[in-house]
Amino acid sequence: MSSCGNPQSTDADELMPRRLKFGRSRVCVRCRENPGNIVIRHAVYCRDCFSPLVTMKFRKALQPAINASAGTSKRPRLKAEGNLLMAFSGGLGSSVLLDIIHSTYFSGQPPVDEDGNPVGGKKHPRNASVWPSASVCYVEVCSAFPGMRDRTEEVRGAVEQYPSFEFVPLRVEDAFDKSWWEQVGGAPSAFQLSVDLGIGNLSLASASSTPPDLTPVESMRTYLASLPTPTAVSSAIQNLVRMLTLHAARSRGASHLLLGTSLTSLSIGLISSISQGGGYATREELQEEWTPSGFGSTETSRPISIVRPLRDVTMKECAAYAWWNDIKIVGRDKSARAIQGIANLTKDFIVGLEKDYPSTVSTIARTCAKLAPKDAPNGNCILCQRPVQHGIQEWKSRISIRSYADAKLALAAHTHPSSQCDPPAQPLDPMPSLTPRLCYSCHTTLTSRSSRGLKTTGHLPAPLPVWSKQSGQSEMRDAIADYLLDG
Amino acid sequence: MSSDTLSLKIEFGGGLELLFSNQRIHNISIPASVPLDNSITSADSIPPADVKQADVTFLMHYLRETLLTERPELFIDNGTVRPGILVLINDTDWELEGEGEYVLKDKDEIVFISTLHGG
Amino acid sequence: MLRRGDSDPETLSVSVQVLTLSLRRSNHCSLVRSMAPASCALCQNAKAILKRPKTGQQICKDCFFYVFETEVHHTILESSLFKPGDRVAIGASGGKDSTVLAYVMKTLNDRYNYALELFLLSIDEGITGYRDDSLETVKRNQQQYDMPLKILSYDELYGWTMDAIVSQIGKKNNCTFCGVFRRQALDRGAATLNVDHIVTGHNADDIAETVLMNIMRGDIARLGRCTMICTQGEDTIKRSKPFKYAYEKEIVMYAYFKKLDYFSTECIYSPDAYRGHARAFLKDLEAARPSAIIDIIHSGEAFEVREEVKATQKAQQTCIRCGYMSSNELCKACTLLEGLERGMANSVITDRARKKINALGPAPDSLRTIPHYRSPLPVVSVEAPSHS
Repeated sequence: MSSCGNPQSTDADELMPRRLKFGRSRVCVRCRENPGNIVIRHAVYCRDCFSPLVTMKFRKALQPAINASAGTSKRPRLKAEGNLLMAFSGGLGSSVLLDIIHSTYFSGQPPVDEDGNPVGGKKHPRNASVWPSASVCYVEVCSAFPGMRDRTEEVRGAVEQYPSFEFVPLRVEDAFDKSWWEQVGGAPSAFQLSVDLGIGNLSLASASSTPPDLTPVESMRTYLASLPTPTAVSSAIQNLVRMLTLHAARSRGASHLLLGTSLTSLSIGLISSISQGGGYATREELQEEWTPSGFGSTETSRPISIVRPLRDVTMKECAAYAWWNDIKIVGRDKSARAIQGIANLTKDFIVGLEKDYPSTVSTIARTCAKLAPKDAPNGNCILCQRPVQHGIQEWKSRISIRSYADAKLALAAHTHPSSQCDPPAQPLDPMPSLTPRLCYSCHTTLTSRSSRGLKTTGHLPAPLPVWSKQSGQSEMRDAIADYLLDG
Repeated sequence: MSSDTLSLKIEFGGGLELLFSNQRIHNISIPASVPLDNSITSADSIPPADVKQADVTFLMHYLRETLLTERPELFIDNGTVRPGILVLINDTDWELEGEGEYVLKDKDEIVFISTLHGG
Repeated sequence: MLRRGDSDPETLSVSVQVLTLSLRRSNHCSLVRSMAPASCALCQNAKAILKRPKTGQQICKDCFFYVFETEVHHTILESSLFKPGDRVAIGASGGKDSTVLAYVMKTLNDRYNYALELFLLSIDEGITGYRDDSLETVKRNQQQYDMPLKILSYDELYGWTMDAIVSQIGKKNNCTFCGVFRRQALDRGAATLNVDHIVTGHNADDIAETVLMNIMRGDIARLGRCTMICTQGEDTIKRSKPFKYAYEKEIVMYAYFKKLDYFSTECIYSPDAYRGHARAFLKDLEAARPSAIIDIIHSGEAFEVREEVKATQKAQQTCIRCGYMSSNELCKACTLLEGLERGMANSVITDRARKKINALGPAPDSLRTIPHYRSPLPVVSVEAPSHS
């Protein structure tokens, strides 16, 4: 609407009052003695009080997710059901996470309370070991970006500083590698599933038109190259990394997958996901429980809690913590940051806002934590494993008419007196379509185009990640299996 | 007075050193009095009304002009440090010290840390 | 037009080097002068003359009119907004959104026999050089569309024009006053017209922006409401947004191709007030991927406030002074008006400041107040439909 007409939109100043960066005093709000060294959301802390503050937030976020019921609330007795897997990117958050996990649970030294005394006494059994084993998973994405350097060895060096962690290096192209899939317990299959992204209905490609014997790297590049926007490319890579990490956690009998997402990254992720139509999975962006299905033993298909123990720690706090605790940051390649997609636009926007309005990121996370999905889900998405909402395609075709068949269909659904349109004879699609098995966000990733005209690259069917075959519901698996045999 | 110089220790972290010839620590000397417009010409030739004591804002411009080797937009944005860069003055958050208006003293240690290296 | 320098993000989508920001700015115009004339992606027949911002399809003018109107029709049907015989007021400012809304409402009412009685309802905020001119546009629309017009002024309702308010409080918070006063003025105007329903020109961009804004400032109550197509408080007339899924760019294109008569000056008191952080961000998102606007609305419709959080929200009550719905004893308009009358308008913007003004004692009797509001409708409680 014009500059008026919306009573909710008024001065930016009034909506987000700019406040002083800190209160009146420069003395640490915690010990009330030392001069402060850092300002965290308007509160001043000295260096001595700062690190315990970060580890306290870390424990508060993580421990209830381990086993809330055991022990008393004051003295929780932590004992996880399975193993631990940490996702490591070389970035700030996951570097800080690794260090805190190590010093809290694996350094042989009992965790200390605010006064530096061992919590629960030195002989407290808590520290025996919360998880039987701990590994650190790194997914190298350099094959997705020309000219990007392989950092696996650098990362290995960083992880091996912590002797109790086993290093699990993966590569993003493993998502298209049948032998990796079998290694992690996936069902063997001779076929690679492909989808035709050139046409709107995402029909699965027939076996004969699938390019023969692509290497995993070639398959991955074909998949990424066939996506319609830079936003889709970065979101697809992010999802490949996420799913690889999930399957790595599953195959190693993990009960917990920890991510180094800071409060700042969490807010960026939430806004970015909402901007890509992922509102239905807002809860999962905050905290997620994944129950794998179709993988033999219970050992490797127990539910996995995906926890972000730094979700209350801002990026600034992470940076100061790393600096004052001498944590070396390998860093991430800037190629991924160069993608002009929604994820990076959101990052620039939120980081810019956070500078002037330091509370914004926690407001975003708190607000989103108050939300729940509206309706019960209709299965899980074949690509991202997150819940699928009902009626996505009806919604899309009602709101954006892309063909007159859609328009008539949407109209015919109503018995309005003047609607004289007959339901059109939809041409029968001989190939099963991927569409009904996708969440809104993944469907948008595969189909939503930029404003820059239709893409005219050839109609090579895009290979799908190895888990797509297994992750559908059983009737989908059967449908695909039938079709594959026929093809 | 304008001939006085300040010795400063500058340190870059969190990947920001990559913009400064991949060198983390730089020991530099800058004049105590500098042009108001943060240009790096000598303050001697300027009328006293256009001169100020060297502050962190001047230092940022000085670093950009003299030590920065690539991608200046990743360091300075809109006349101040780019959002997402943490600045410590003698181990203290610059927000407690008046940010860019902090007047530098001899032997000050200034640290610039990028927080933008994600999770 | 659609030329964007040398880098093409589509071919670069994998071989990402540095994609310049040039993409951001140049997305405004979506009319295509294609080098090779393409045929319309919808009718396959006529020559495509524009590229639809919402879908990226190249289509002809007639198909654009048809799909634009039909999508609004779908929105109206899907939510069963109206029933035959309803009296509906169109909130008309003379600007592009409400002008196109009036035209499309009339078109659909005729085409699909909605059997609605349509009215134009304008609020005169009293802004010289802005609203007086835009009201001239509305008066012409009245003739062009043959609809009765009702104009209600802030002056007659509150005793204050925006000109007078700004001369007292300056430009800083004047949008707050204007917004609060307009909402209530629309309801009161609608009550005098005895209509069942007010439709406003809020478009998809407005709604997507509001979703983001409400998340960023933690306004959970509004976040739950803002994607509803139709809202109705306990005591007010139904309000809805038939352009909920219509892109701002397409509204402008529609007005342009239909040569609709609208007034396109920014309000003189809020130059660029609307281009806040969230709006600029939304425009960047749209440039990166045009479906972002509709995707954000989809997100907003997909979640709701958790039950246990809902329980803690403030209940609506009735303003003790003017009878309008309110979440406090005094409604916002009465509070703001009291501030103006007592010469301390700038201090009633926040809740805390309101407590301060209350501490000064009761309002003097001489204070001008808003006439008591009586809803034309029986008290009903309507849950807006959820659409998934």
